[in-house]
Amino acid sequence: MNLKFIKTDLVLGVRAWLRSKGTVFWTILFPVLLIMIFGAIFSGADEVKYDLALQDLDDSSDSQNLTRLLEESGFFKLKIIGNDTDISTYMEDNDLAVGLQIPEDFGKKLDELMGNPTAKLNLTYYIDPTDSTVPNIVRGIISGIVNGYNDMITLSPSIVSIEEETILGEDFDYIDFFVPGMIGFTIMTSMVYGSIERNTKLRKDGILRKMLTMPVTRYEWIFSKMLFMLFLSFISTFVIMVVGIVVWGLNIQINIFFFIIVICTSFMFSGLGMIIGRFVKDQETADMAGGAITFPMMFLAGTFFPLDQMPTFLQSIAQVLPLYYVNEGLRNAMIYANLEKTLYFTGFVVVFAVVFFLIGVFLTKWKED
Amino acid sequence: MVEKKVKCPKCGNINTISGDPGEVVKITCSSCGNPGKVTFKPIVTDGDTVIEVFDLRKEYGDLVAVNNVSFSVKKGEVLAFLGPNGAGKTTTVEMIESIRVPTAGTIKILGKDVSTSFDEVKEQIGILPQEFFSYERLTVRETLRYFASLYKNPANIDEIIDAMNLKDQEKKLYMNLSGGLKQRVGVAISLVNEPDIIFLDEPSTGLDPKARREVWEVIADLRNKGKTVFLTTHYMEEAEYLADRIIIIHKGKIIAEGTLDELISKHGDESILRIKNCKSTHTLNVLKDKEFDAYAEGNGDIAVKIKYKEQILEILSLLKYECVDYGTIDIRRSNLEEIFLKLTGAKLREAG
Repeated sequence: MNLKFIKTDLVLGVRAWLRSKGTVFWTILFPVLLIMIFGAIFSGADEVKYDLALQDLDDSSDSQNLTRLLEESGFFKLKIIGNDTDISTYMEDNDLAVGLQIPEDFGKKLDELMGNPTAKLNLTYYIDPTDSTVPNIVRGIISGIVNGYNDMITLSPSIVSIEEETILGEDFDYIDFFVPGMIGFTIMTSMVYGSIERNTKLRKDGILRKMLTMPVTRYEWIFSKMLFMLFLSFISTFVIMVVGIVVWGLNIQINIFFFIIVICTSFMFSGLGMIIGRFVKDQETADMAGGAITFPMMFLAGTFFPLDQMPTFLQSIAQVLPLYYVNEGLRNAMIYANLEKTLYFTGFVVVFAVVFFLIGVFLTKWKED
Repeated sequence: MVEKKVKCPKCGNINTISGDPGEVVKITCSSCGNPGKVTFKPIVTDGDTVIEVFDLRKEYGDLVAVNNVSFSVKKGEVLAFLGPNGAGKTTTVEMIESIRVPTAGTIKILGKDVSTSFDEVKEQIGILPQEFFSYERLTVRETLRYFASLYKNPANIDEIIDAMNLKDQEKKLYMNLSGGLKQRVGVAISLVNEPDIIFLDEPSTGLDPKARREVWEVIADLRNKGKTVFLTTHYMEEAEYLADRIIIIHKGKIIAEGTLDELISKHGDESILRIKNCKSTHTLNVLKDKEFDAYAEGNGDIAVKIKYKEQILEILSLLKYECVDYGTIDIRRSNLEEIFLKLTGAKLREAG
């Protein structure tokens, strides 16, 4: 192993990378910008008010208390609807994405169910299914308010509930969901495009032919390049996490699985880039091929939005996308601290990494036909 | 081991047979059973030979890119491998450099067979591939340091920078250099291990005349330092200016080989002495009387075919004696372009 070359390749590789403002932007600043923008949109909920259609069919003191709670939460601009109006039609006419209906005899039933720990009293939550974001955020907020209301009226916190489950856990914000996805997405694009460049531009420029005639093996060269790619992965991951922590107060757990996933993801997508570069020799075309693979994967693998919001058949597609396992693995390792799920997703990431990287190395050849 | 295709004299069947250079191999036609013998040509080399190529062949399907070429390169010589685009120059040199795998044939560098022992000669050779561009965002010094780090005994980078006249450019990024400087850096990269043999594949292609001349000076300097240089080019001026020996390749075959003088004397026409704008009408007759092969060209010029150089002095004395009034005298001999045209029927820059 030529350690002198590997060290020189890494040091000069980093130096050359820092001189390329465009690459630095796409690797570091672009994900940071995305976090700032998405975080501002979805995490600054105390500054954003959602229009909520509210129909109180009971009009009792209990239902008025609940209405007041919703109003005082600061999250909503309530659009109170009379009892003789159809809430769905009203929402449609007024272009509202979410609505809440308090049922008739809400107060009466509440009195009857008090003290019964298994009792349920449902509010009806109306959503516009074409809006993929607001209903989920509002559902989480209402769920929190309803829990507060339960606490207020009874020691048993489960009498009043809404029928649908919340997608985002009540202890986690959207930014908690988004940051691990952003890390996975950033590593994916850096690795795929970096690998494509190595296998197309360097081939076109004659550097690979030159390497073939010099005392370095293909494996030493790939190893040194992977060290550089790992540097990129960790530096972009670090920056994303720092922004998440400093700006959005993200609570991140760093553990061995986090490192395993970041390293394996780097190898996995470098392998994918090698495979693309092997079959598409021209760099521009290979970049397009890379985009054609990574761009849909970014959306379909639950990077920006939870998979639950997608149609079932798209959810099935996600199950075969490596980025899905990366995203979920990182979320469970860094945020949710769910060891069982972390192990499950990490296992898949390791397998994907081994398969993609080995195929990539096998297909990468320096010799010309 | 070399592979050879042999046509059966009896039935015309093509038989493929393997043997070592110099070996005589018995063969039986696979179609008609006719027995015969095939002699594999020995590689004729002397102690100074550093590159030996024997019966080298490269096929791409039905296309034969390199058709059983054999040649050798001596230590300290600049060999120009001259041919038009698509002649097989780069394919040949890349097989020697072990970048491409030959279909058949033997290549030895410094006595080592490259098919099995190329790693053993990597420290002794330097290569500038065709259309080579280094890392854009490294400086000239960093670039040389990067490639030098690959070798066990790298050259002193400062000495290379000085020798290649790159001192003023050493802190510039490669991407900001002119085409000529990039090629100069490319040649410098090929020297970072102080190689014995340097392969330069079309080092001046695509450069403007000034930049091309700069690259030539760099190569001439290598020649003066006693380096062995294998130069592929499609510029005849480059071959004429730099090469000790020239191999002309066309459609995958070597069609001529030798020094410039040897090629001209063997394949070129006679030199022509041209008396421009000759005012004397009887000069032509005088020359003819003296049995010179002279003729009028219709524009006032008289052309004389020169068979041996003493004739030139004789003509000059004659002109002085006759007090002939004329413009200038121009002596021109055949060049590689004309030799190539004569051998192939095509112009060097148009062929291929």
